[in-house]
Amino acid sequence: MADKRKYVIPGDVITSGPFRPEQNVVLEGNNIIATSVGISEIYEDSVKVIPLTGKYIPKINDLVIGKVISHTSLSWELDVNSCYVGFLPAQDVFGRDFSTHADELSSKLKTGDLVAARIANFDRTRDPLITISDRDLGKIDDGILVKISPSKVPRLIGKKGSMIQMIEMGTNAAITIGQNGWVVISCETEEGLSKAKKAVEMVNEKAHIANLTDLIKDMLDGKDES
Amino acid sequence: MTSVSVIDELKRAQILELLEQGKRVDGRTLDEPRKICIEINAIPKANGSARVYLGDTQVLCGVKIQPDKPFPDVGDKGMFMCTAELLPLSHPTVETGPPQAPVIELARVVDRGIRESHMVDVSDLVIEKDKSVVGVFADVVAIDYDGNLFDACSYAATAALLTSKTPTWEMVDDQPSVVEGADKPLPITTIPVSVTMGKIGNYIVVDPNGDEWDSMDSRITITTDSDGNIVALQKGGSDGFTQEEINQCGDLSIKVGAKIREQLKSSKQESQ
Repeated sequence: MADKRKYVIPGDVITSGPFRPEQNVVLEGNNIIATSVGISEIYEDSVKVIPLTGKYIPKINDLVIGKVISHTSLSWELDVNSCYVGFLPAQDVFGRDFSTHADELSSKLKTGDLVAARIANFDRTRDPLITISDRDLGKIDDGILVKISPSKVPRLIGKKGSMIQMIEMGTNAAITIGQNGWVVISCETEEGLSKAKKAVEMVNEKAHIANLTDLIKDMLDGKDES
Repeated sequence: MTSVSVIDELKRAQILELLEQGKRVDGRTLDEPRKICIEINAIPKANGSARVYLGDTQVLCGVKIQPDKPFPDVGDKGMFMCTAELLPLSHPTVETGPPQAPVIELARVVDRGIRESHMVDVSDLVIEKDKSVVGVFADVVAIDYDGNLFDACSYAATAALLTSKTPTWEMVDDQPSVVEGADKPLPITTIPVSVTMGKIGNYIVVDPNGDEWDSMDSRITITTDSDGNIVALQKGGSDGFTQEEINQCGDLSIKVGAKIREQLKSSKQESQ
């Protein structure tokens, strides 16, 4: 596997042959060509490129952090760090008996509020449908928002959540990671907050480094405070 | 910005909370501008140019000097014009197309600060009265946006004009023609410095960064000249300033402006 991973830029021919083109590649003739900057991966029957940068492309069931940018009388619009605008219908918050006359949307969520939400439905032909009616979802009342690249979210979570658990344990902070690259950190102490923020930003900057876990651990233990 | 960027409520609350303790989100004091970095002659082929970094805000200015017909009512004066534009890559909310009101305001505020200080002595830019004069055009583009384009653009234009070299023209057969090897600096009389201050809650902050810019209630841009006189002023935003606040802003603009003027001067000396 390892020797088949390489850095590609748009237009690079990754391979040719009977492969199925997956994310960020196109099939032209017999060649499979990258369409974004990233690392190419060749599997048994398919090829894909993991982008190094770029906007978030919604996926059904993803947990995301959204920011309310406006609302109509029937729904809110959410910025989810994507080329698509998140669509949160009023029924999702007010329930089935929502009435445009009786219920005022801004009483629940107003412009600038942050919400933890889930992508309920999405295909590329229309904007993603968002829901906040689930456990642990809804308006975020405290903490700070840190923005990282969506492609580095898996690195921040780590294998089976190892990285994020380590940061949370080391700082006593509660960290909510949206798949869209927006991370909300809340912590009771000022020190833990800034440390957790620093750790998250460090993962974002140094995601490609192999022994990142050790680096973060040293930072959390205060070893690099020179 | 052409479409409005919305700042999240948590950030706004954090900015206000820190201000109450006398702090700012990026660790500056309230009257401290961000680090200014001036790169003279960023465009070698222009008559003058400068790239200015104000924190993460980055702008580039090019100066073009060429003979032109004078305006009919002021035949004994040259022309000075300053424009400003935003590149679409400078911020996600910037759109292509004709400039929107905030961008037009930006260009006008930058132009006015330099024009009203009479930095460029336009009466010295006449080739032949009523027939041909020298036009000086300073065009600024914003490359990266992180708040306070007013000051960044103003410093870039000022730095570029300070270090511009203008050719000399003489009238030959009723047409201006260049005198070879007679390049000289522009006739500069003063160095205008604009200082933009934002009002967030009841606090006045100098040189707001992107987040502060989005959360401020009103702003004021004051330009001062080398003698410490206020030469131009622009107020924006929906909130007002009290008399004391205006006085405070005036004092701040003179105090902060003096430091920045020294930096502009030293960047000019370094380029020579």
